[in-house]
Amino acid sequence: MKTSTGVKKHGTLFLIKKNYSAYLFLLPKLILFITFIAIPVVWAFILSFQEYKVFGSVWAGLDNYKAVFESEAFRKALYNTAIYTVVTVPFNVVSALVIASLIHSVSRTAQNFFRAAFYLPTVASMVIIAMVWRWMYNYEFGLFNYIIGWFGADPINWLGQTDSALWAIIIMQCMIPFGVGIILYLASMGSISESLYEAATIDGASSFQKWARITIPMLKPSTLYLVLLSTIGSFQVFTQIILMTGGGPGFATETIVHLIYKTGFRDFEFGLAAAQSVILFGIILIVSIFQFKVLQHDE
Amino acid sequence: MKTTSFKMKKPIVYTLLIVFSVVSLLPLYWVFSTSLQLSNYQDEELDRPVSYVNSNPPKMYPMGIPEYFEHWKKARDAEEQNDMEQAAYHRETMSHIVDNTFSGFKTLFEKNNMGRWFFNSFYIGVVVTVGILLFDSMAGYVLAKKRFPGRNLIFWLIISTMMIPGQVTLVPMFIMIRELNLMDTHWALIFPDLSMVFGVFLMRQFMYSIPNELLDAAKIDGASEWKTYWKIVMPLAKPGLAALGIFTFMNVWNSFLWPIIVLNNSDLYTLPVGLKTLQDANLASFKLLMSGAAIAAIPMIIVFLIFQRHFVKGLTLGGVKE
Amino acid sequence: MKGQFKLVYVLMLVMFAGILSACSDDAGSSNSGEEWTGKITIWDGPRWAEEGDDSGEDGEGNKYFWLEEKIKEFEESHEGVEIELVQVPWAEMPDKLGVSIAGKSWPDIAPVDISGSAVSIEHIEQGVIESVDEFFTDDEMNDFYENAREAYTFDGELYGIPNSITVHSMLLNLDLFEEAGVEPPENGEWTWNEFADAAEKLTFDRDGDGEIDVYGFSTYILPGYYEAWPFFYINGGQPLSDDLSEFTFDDPAAVEAIQQLADIKLEKEAAPVSMGGADVGGTFQAWASEEQRTVAMEPWATWAITSAQTAYPTNFMVANYPTGESGEPVTIGGVGGWTMFHQDNDAKKEVVAEFMKHISSAEEQYVMSKEYGIFPALKSAADKDPFADNPEMARAQEMSSQVVMLPRHPEWKKIDEVIQRELQLVFNGEKTAKDAMDAAKAGVQDLLE
Repeated sequence: MKTSTGVKKHGTLFLIKKNYSAYLFLLPKLILFITFIAIPVVWAFILSFQEYKVFGSVWAGLDNYKAVFESEAFRKALYNTAIYTVVTVPFNVVSALVIASLIHSVSRTAQNFFRAAFYLPTVASMVIIAMVWRWMYNYEFGLFNYIIGWFGADPINWLGQTDSALWAIIIMQCMIPFGVGIILYLASMGSISESLYEAATIDGASSFQKWARITIPMLKPSTLYLVLLSTIGSFQVFTQIILMTGGGPGFATETIVHLIYKTGFRDFEFGLAAAQSVILFGIILIVSIFQFKVLQHDE
Repeated sequence: MKTTSFKMKKPIVYTLLIVFSVVSLLPLYWVFSTSLQLSNYQDEELDRPVSYVNSNPPKMYPMGIPEYFEHWKKARDAEEQNDMEQAAYHRETMSHIVDNTFSGFKTLFEKNNMGRWFFNSFYIGVVVTVGILLFDSMAGYVLAKKRFPGRNLIFWLIISTMMIPGQVTLVPMFIMIRELNLMDTHWALIFPDLSMVFGVFLMRQFMYSIPNELLDAAKIDGASEWKTYWKIVMPLAKPGLAALGIFTFMNVWNSFLWPIIVLNNSDLYTLPVGLKTLQDANLASFKLLMSGAAIAAIPMIIVFLIFQRHFVKGLTLGGVKE
Repeated sequence: MKGQFKLVYVLMLVMFAGILSACSDDAGSSNSGEEWTGKITIWDGPRWAEEGDDSGEDGEGNKYFWLEEKIKEFEESHEGVEIELVQVPWAEMPDKLGVSIAGKSWPDIAPVDISGSAVSIEHIEQGVIESVDEFFTDDEMNDFYENAREAYTFDGELYGIPNSITVHSMLLNLDLFEEAGVEPPENGEWTWNEFADAAEKLTFDRDGDGEIDVYGFSTYILPGYYEAWPFFYINGGQPLSDDLSEFTFDDPAAVEAIQQLADIKLEKEAAPVSMGGADVGGTFQAWASEEQRTVAMEPWATWAITSAQTAYPTNFMVANYPTGESGEPVTIGGVGGWTMFHQDNDAKKEVVAEFMKHISSAEEQYVMSKEYGIFPALKSAADKDPFADNPEMARAQEMSSQVVMLPRHPEWKKIDEVIQRELQLVFNGEKTAKDAMDAAKAGVQDLLE
């Protein structure tokens, strides 16, 4: 608190007493926060060093972490999740930028219409999306094999083959519009100063040059935020997996969170699951910091 | 129209936008189209039931629509020729077509637990939303407007956990819920949802914009802290509350991973959990599954269409951080 | 200023009241000598509905009515005992039981197929499952079929009351056999070659448009499901050695059997592309649904027989799995029954056991066999001849003598996953059976040690 010396002489206790109503305002949220977030977070770290049994648990040191790193399934899950992230995040962010730019250039009414059209699919739960995509990927009766048939392609066993299953999941994620991104980009574009464009026009810049040299750099804070947001989201991919492939065929679509779910709530190895989730957190943290540094600095 | 930042020929822009939006809306369309598709429909020529749901090539729209109009035309023609028997036959077929078209929804509500699941999702959503709005605005208000020891510590503590993915707390939360004896109850969903911290952050940002002079004036008038909050702060925070409320409700309505872990009793399932069991039950046709999906999607679509403005507001509020 | 937070704190109070009410565990009460009173929780899945009742799930009526009636009977004769029925769909039962064990929120009684699901030997060792040995006399014990009792016995004690036996059997659509001009196997007994032959002949193009309309055979491969597995046993192969120390599906006997089933699709093209995939519902619909019937033969568990007699009326017969080099028909089966979960109170335990016996008596097993399409686990129930007017079920019941049980290894769920994931790759043509089982060996052997 920057309100310095004058207050300090009363002492902290006095301030607490004086402001007790503020604490009362905070109390409900604080109780919930401590019980259901703060304690579980700390607990997760503790659990990851334990072997957990139904009646009591024992210390396991680093065994859980060792087991995670030695596990073939975890490596496979990490690899799949990484591929998924590396493809979907740039695709989603760039497509959001392009779509937002297109929308930005049409009339007000049309803007509202298209903004709604692109955001609408994202209000539906992933459960619904996954169920309908599983249906569209159906080998015999699915929409996609019919559509690719127009181009003379043979039907594909989308979710049934190792080489196509993960890509089927990735394509699905790319086809769902990144609604948050589009709306955010639109809002940011609206706040870019007109004078910048006018100056560029005088300098004889083409409209594409203006887009590349003014719009994109000005949108950098939004881009950073969206990249972080969608990276965090895509490391947590789960619903599609459990509803569409169950991680198969083989381990072709196993992802980290699906593995955590299985370790925790099918095998009930809570210690191991906690270790996996702590590692997931670590990975997300490192990737986020990395992205933050890169996107902040290449100006 | 502004100086455009992206000048292309208008027809090209519109064509691109229309193509992209068709692609993005296609899955939702397919949900509704399949849910209304004729299934197990008695084909007169083949003299056996056929399914337009499982058909290759797929039918691109509910076949009940052309069938209905065909019989309607035939019925009208028959009536004109005074062939009452034939007309009655076509009228009856028309009502069969309508029944068949909506049979998925009917089965779900009458024969499955859909009504119950819908209600569960709805009331849990409302309880959590009301709780979040109240608690988060209280917390956001004092964090923005009051100065007291520990304020920054509490704020940063709360904000720093926003970065932690939910999966980290999955297992300890499970043990916590178990120790509180809340397994297989709705409290197991409500409490963790009520603890989400995003709203505190959002409300704090929002409360900053409330002028201090208003609060000071209220104090001078002798209004109590609670009265100030309830009578002055809350009404001013309405736009922020609306946005937060909508997002909270949507999150709760769509949440999946946690509910499938803590709910056992099929009477307690929320919609997404119910949909999963429907898919797991093996015998459900895609028409039935898509009808379930449609039922789960419709409320959110309606909410979105009504409160579109607030969606945009909420997203930009939460998004433009720095 | 006090009282200004009333609203908020009333709200909080309501919530914590919620917690407290949930916390008040129904330990019940019992004074020595008096009957125990309190609440018992039982889980069950949908079974069958009373005739003529078309309300409830699937339009086939209230499928919990049998247990609800038994509960009413029991409550009437035991004052102060309240029994709560929790309805859990069968497909979710194993997962949910697992979660409830980890969550220490288990019911008092649940239906558990002990031969391969949520409850493992480990749980018995940890004391999650109660022994019910003390509640049975020797005569009662001997009334169980040997293999049924064996399935629930651990260290010489009985952990649960077996009430049903199920087997996997081949279901053949006789209309399609007739259409293709193929003779169904006599008595449902056939060799592998006869089966493979039939599968090829049953694959045909009905309308001459150059596309196959009917396939001879289909099934699916998914962790936890074993419809395809008897095919892998027919040459004498088995997943683990008898002492559970060795992975043995990589023996030539097993590898060959796996490959030849996969080749029904890959080489002979007598199975749809979806064969060996993960779509259980789609596979069943392809055989049973009146709109499809695009597959002539599929292996299913016993429930499918009842389903094909009622919800999906089909002209079908029940056949053995074909025999291989070992010459003996084999199938995989399961034993269902009621298990009792950890009890703190001996008086309560007695009442719980009494109720379990009440719902698994010979009379009840007879009723359940007749109505629900499973085979009784009690000889005295079988003696009442529940399938007198149901030749398909009777045929399937004969197969219970061919049953091999899945290995009872504490890590079976994980072993199963490794094997099944590799099998998926065999059936979609990405790996040969040999390569896949070699790969599985590496993973399984780790789990065995």
